[in-house]
Amino acid sequence: MPATNRKNKRALLIALPLVIVLFPLGYSVVASLLAREAPSDGGDLFLEMPGAEHEACVRDTAYMRYHHWELLKQIREEVVRYGIRGDVGLNRCADCHTSRERFCNRCHEATSLYPDCFDCHYYP
Amino acid sequence: MKRRDFLKTAGGSILAGTSCAYAFRFLIRSDTSGVEAEIPPGTRRWGMVIDLNRCREGCAACLGACRNENNVAHHGDVRWDNHWIRKVRLEKKHGKGASQEVLLLCNHCDNPPCAQVCPVQATYKRDDGIVIVDHHRCIGCRYCMIACPYNARFFNFKENEHWPNKEFPKRSHGVAEACTLCAHRLERGLEPACVDACAKEGARAIIVGDLNDDESDVAHLIARNPVKRIREDLGTEPKVYYIGL
Repeated sequence: MPATNRKNKRALLIALPLVIVLFPLGYSVVASLLAREAPSDGGDLFLEMPGAEHEACVRDTAYMRYHHWELLKQIREEVVRYGIRGDVGLNRCADCHTSRERFCNRCHEATSLYPDCFDCHYYP
Repeated sequence: MKRRDFLKTAGGSILAGTSCAYAFRFLIRSDTSGVEAEIPPGTRRWGMVIDLNRCREGCAACLGACRNENNVAHHGDVRWDNHWIRKVRLEKKHGKGASQEVLLLCNHCDNPPCAQVCPVQATYKRDDGIVIVDHHRCIGCRYCMIACPYNARFFNFKENEHWPNKEFPKRSHGVAEACTLCAHRLERGLEPACVDACAKEGARAIIVGDLNDDESDVAHLIARNPVKRIREDLGTEPKVYYIGL
């Protein structure tokens, strides 16, 4: 009896640290498998699009979706540093996309991006 | 075709082609510059004349107008309040001479010390002579506040909730700022807010105009009156001229 007890104890001494060390690995594998089964939650992200009475945006949708910040940065540089004030600008976005709450912030919150443009620039 | 004729036509067409290309490029460039096409950059030099004989004792119309136009921070606490334009009282050191109220603001120097010390080139002098801060670049080191001999630069120590003019951006916490000579209004062909307010009061003590234009109001005033600038000895070449200082 004492021999098997000691054997059990030794097995536990080896197994417990092993389980503790390997737990994160196993957890991530299981979690990723579960996530793959669940539908992606990006689908229910609803952005309020402007009505049909508005003309097309300054660039196509695919560009604007991922690169609007590059465009805004470029315009910012032109206006602030070189004084070239064109038609397009941050305050012109609000002509069509009337609500920051229902347009800009939806994506920014989903992707955890919090640009500080609107600390200083007014957007309704 | 003779060899000589061929060379003639070939050379002529190459010459014509390149000159056309140059002309075309020039045309395109002049087109894109838009409204400002008539006035090439660098020809204007904005300056200000303050006639202290016309400035009224105790009047603060320009200060309020500036605050409302430019969303200048006002917390009601002297530690955090910013003033793009302010009024100070000069007392005579000796004797009982009359004291005088003087308007102080950014002098938009031709050799701006604030722009020279800025480590990120956030403060810079525009082609038209206005010294302006690119608040996107400002890191809030406050070197410019130390460098400015006129104490005309201020720091946003706190987030400013005061936002009366939504068309103009306010400044967030942690950037330095100073008078921009209402560059956004000058671009639209309007007078700066302080000038408008002063004219509305009927005093017309503050005049802003192009110093390079001999026909402008400021050039006339400078030519006809004994004008002074503050601390001309420093070599900063300020562009705010005082009459009756």
